Amino acid sequence: MRTDRTRALRTVAIVAGLLVVSFVILGVQQFQNFLTLGAIYALVALGYTMVYGIIELINFAHGDVFMVGAFVSMWIMTVPLGLADRPINDPIQLTVVLLAVVIGTMVVMGLIGVIIERFAYRPLRHAPRLAPLITAIGVSFILQNIIQAIFSSSPIAVPQIFPRVKLDLLGGSIGVLNIFMVLVALLLMVALQLFVGRTRLGRAMRATAQDREAAELMGVDINQTIAITFFIAAALAGSAGVIQGLYFGSIQFNLGFFAGLFAFTAAVLGGIGNTTGAAVGGFIIAFIAVLAAQLGYSRWSEVAIFTVLILVLVFRPSGLLGQALGERA
Amino acid sequence: MRLTRVGAFAVIALVAFSACSSTPQGGGGNTIKIGTELPMSGAETANGEPTANGVKLAIKQSNAKKEITGYTLDINVQDDAVNGAHDPQQGATNMHTLVADTSVAGVVGPFNSSVAQSEIPISNAGGLLQCSPANTNTGLTYPPDALQYRPNNPTKINYIRLAAPDSIQGPAGADYVFNDLKAKTVYILDDTETFGVGVGDSFAAQFKKDGGTITKRDSAPKSTTDYTPLFTAAAAAKPDAVYLAGTTPTGMGLALKQARTVAGFETIPFMGPDGVADLGPGGTTGATITVAGAAAHDVHGTVAGIHDLPSGSTFVADYTAEFGKAPGAYSAIAYACAQVIIAGIKSAVAAGKTDPAALREAVRANSVAAGNKFDTVIGPVSFDKNGDITTPYMSFYKTDLTANGGKGGWVYVKQQAFTDPNAS
Repeated sequence: MRTDRTRALRTVAIVAGLLVVSFVILGVQQFQNFLTLGAIYALVALGYTMVYGIIELINFAHGDVFMVGAFVSMWIMTVPLGLADRPINDPIQLTVVLLAVVIGTMVVMGLIGVIIERFAYRPLRHAPRLAPLITAIGVSFILQNIIQAIFSSSPIAVPQIFPRVKLDLLGGSIGVLNIFMVLVALLLMVALQLFVGRTRLGRAMRATAQDREAAELMGVDINQTIAITFFIAAALAGSAGVIQGLYFGSIQFNLGFFAGLFAFTAAVLGGIGNTTGAAVGGFIIAFIAVLAAQLGYSRWSEVAIFTVLILVLVFRPSGLLGQALGERA
Repeated sequence: MRLTRVGAFAVIALVAFSACSSTPQGGGGNTIKIGTELPMSGAETANGEPTANGVKLAIKQSNAKKEITGYTLDINVQDDAVNGAHDPQQGATNMHTLVADTSVAGVVGPFNSSVAQSEIPISNAGGLLQCSPANTNTGLTYPPDALQYRPNNPTKINYIRLAAPDSIQGPAGADYVFNDLKAKTVYILDDTETFGVGVGDSFAAQFKKDGGTITKRDSAPKSTTDYTPLFTAAAAAKPDAVYLAGTTPTGMGLALKQARTVAGFETIPFMGPDGVADLGPGGTTGATITVAGAAAHDVHGTVAGIHDLPSGSTFVADYTAEFGKAPGAYSAIAYACAQVIIAGIKSAVAAGKTDPAALREAVRANSVAAGNKFDTVIGPVSFDKNGDITTPYMSFYKTDLTANGGKGGWVYVKQQAFTDPNAS
């Protein structure tokens, strides 16, 4: 109990410290960009880390699940809801629409995640570790090609339904959309922590992560638990896809590749298997990217991000918040 | 029994017939091909397809007039777009394919400068003429840079172009921003590619010469998804305008869309080269307006070619009748490239040079021979000692979001003739 509290305190201290430092370094305007980008990376990184935690699989298709999420949200907005490319200024209507889009996308993506797990990974659960890894790369290509076949390889515009209203806060002008995005991400992260830490299913997940066979002997339904993990991971990626489309306005079938790579880096940075670590890692990656842009070295931002990854792997292989090996999720 | 014998006879007859028709020296019905090497899919469709159609029309009309005695012209179409954006590696592969097809006498393309860089060494080794309607990178033709693309036959110019180089396009854009848009300070964003960096450099040099100031210059690779931090940082210097040095498939459309959400960039004019002014047929939407949507207001762009065809030209009517839509920005220029190649084939065939290697060499030498003038759809053209057009033109366009029934489009502003700095 005490170690739990110390750990939680340490995490909170790290996060608060990083926020203050980044605010001072970046200034209010870039701080806003950093939080928004970090929210997306963090949501995608959570999926990597959860799947790794429970079945020790680096799910390389996860970046493309995120991409599919962006397309599903675009489809929900344009086809069933029939929205045009103009802001919805009525707050009630906007809330209803956003709820429908976010929840709809998360459910659809969760189901897609479960289907992927059922047909691509479950048959290989007892195969050598390399087999599901290669399968994951195959799934990534399948998802990209399906989306390319349906929506073409051109960039697709996402309806800009969120009014670009700005508030004067902290001496800068802050977009309401940015606040909304960061709040959604925080809400989902807190919900995930509570789910994993406080519920029966969450306990089953943690037990499965620690020792699958022992958990099974204790009556945990392993298949169901793993399916739920995939559902949550893909749903989180779906929510990241929604805000990607809302904020950046244009999506393309291959956007999952780099996003996935960055999110994977974030997950490793924070300590793969550790959910708080993945979120912190996502914000660190975003910080590097925004700082590089601020300083005029944007062409070097990828170099900087992957250099940090290599340094962490060399000096702290279990990641910033990772535990000694053997304990996960 | 009898059936089998008839079948065997038929097979022998077929083999004999096909063997006969594949002999190049045979009678009528022989084919000489013109290759096209352009990006034909994804966000580049609007670039490649109307351009290739220009070549198709030239071939069809030449065949109808029976310009080449004893031969029929045909086309070999190659697509260098991978995942919806032009790809130098794919271009190199396609160029190997075209060099290996001995019936190809000349190639129209490529569209993008980075693709040209990987292709010219291959076509140079194969002795195959390339005529690009759209490449603008200065170093592709200007020595000493151009020499590195011709390691096999440095003295044989096998790459010519009808587009004005960036040493004209960049400065023309700079003069337009300074004089027509009255902007004195500019922020430049490039896409780190051959074309983007080159045109950005020449824009910056001329804009400073005009008396303007470059507030900041950034480079962002095409994998970038978030341009807002770049524009947030650039807003501090309050530029009057932005120059997007690159193309929409490599991120400039997305950059434009996101820039409009950043304070300081909501209303100011944006300017771009032909990679941004990617007008589709008849000035229609194009990828930039599709991607940026409502953010594409007040965007201006240059196209490195002529807009007004010589008076009395039936090209637009012929093209529209053939393909059911208006020509693209580079359709007529590609047609002119095909005309240059056809003129070379014609004189080679007349001189009896019909062996594939001799034909290629004759077409290549004919296009760059001093004093040779070609009467084309865009007017008389000739090439200087580097392979550049001696009478370069630049056209200016701007966006109008109410055009094309509210879908948005590009409207023509003006065109300007330039003098070739290397005319000898």
